[in-house]
Amino acid sequence: MDAVFKALADASRRELLDRLRAENGQTLGELCERLAKTGIGMSRQAVSKHLAILEEANLVATVKRGREKLHYLNPVPIHEIAERWIGKFERGRLQALVDMKKALEQSDE
Amino acid sequence: MIDMARFKPKTVYVIYIAATPEKIWAALTTPEFTTAYFLGAAIEIEPKEGGAFVMRKPDGTIDVSGEVVEWSPPRRLAVTWGVRWLPQMRDVPDCLVSYDIEQAGDSVRLTMTEAHQWDVPDALLSGGRAGWPAILSSLKSLLETGKPLAIKMQPPREMLDALAALKR
Repeated sequence: MDAVFKALADASRRELLDRLRAENGQTLGELCERLAKTGIGMSRQAVSKHLAILEEANLVATVKRGREKLHYLNPVPIHEIAERWIGKFERGRLQALVDMKKALEQSDE
Repeated sequence: MIDMARFKPKTVYVIYIAATPEKIWAALTTPEFTTAYFLGAAIEIEPKEGGAFVMRKPDGTIDVSGEVVEWSPPRRLAVTWGVRWLPQMRDVPDCLVSYDIEQAGDSVRLTMTEAHQWDVPDALLSGGRAGWPAILSSLKSLLETGKPLAIKMQPPREMLDALAALKR
């Protein structure tokens, strides 16, 4: 669990997880290209290093397909953290709060 | 013969479990285990390639059905996976679900891969993405502590909306 929190304690790595959530199964090249397109400067080497840390923490799973290595967001460790601190009776109420926050913030836009 | 190359992985989940590969294999393939952690569903599976595969709900209706694509105990199990209990899913092409079991130090890494043979919209994947982490965590808890986790699941709204849109 230490590895998970350490991996998450970095904005660049959270950005990479967001990118995989938006589009799962990207190669290193695709991730770099799309980061650059949206004005986020991260060298290929840095992205590769961050991905290795995320994979080590089991937050990213990889699949080899032909010559490509595809990266997938693996939310299982985060689910386990939620299981540990969020009880099953709290879940419904928390979801209601999150839904309300989303609805209110969207109506502001 | 099913052409595996047609299927592209869309969701890949990895969980580490303190158990033997044999025990995890048994948990994936026997109804005594699946009813405890897989939303009450009982597996029926012919132990060979080309064999029939069914997940049956507690009320006896079919939840999921398909065909065994790979049966290599205790390392790899792959089945085609068609969700039958939701009438809206009837025309959606079956996907391929595979489990890979590998020793990783003191524990065992279980990888679940959901691969699709068409350009499936993200909203349709949301059902699996909501369900699998809970099911895998429950399987881990069952094998490590003897107790599964309580799961209460409904298909996500966005998935039902996407299915309705597909019909049009």
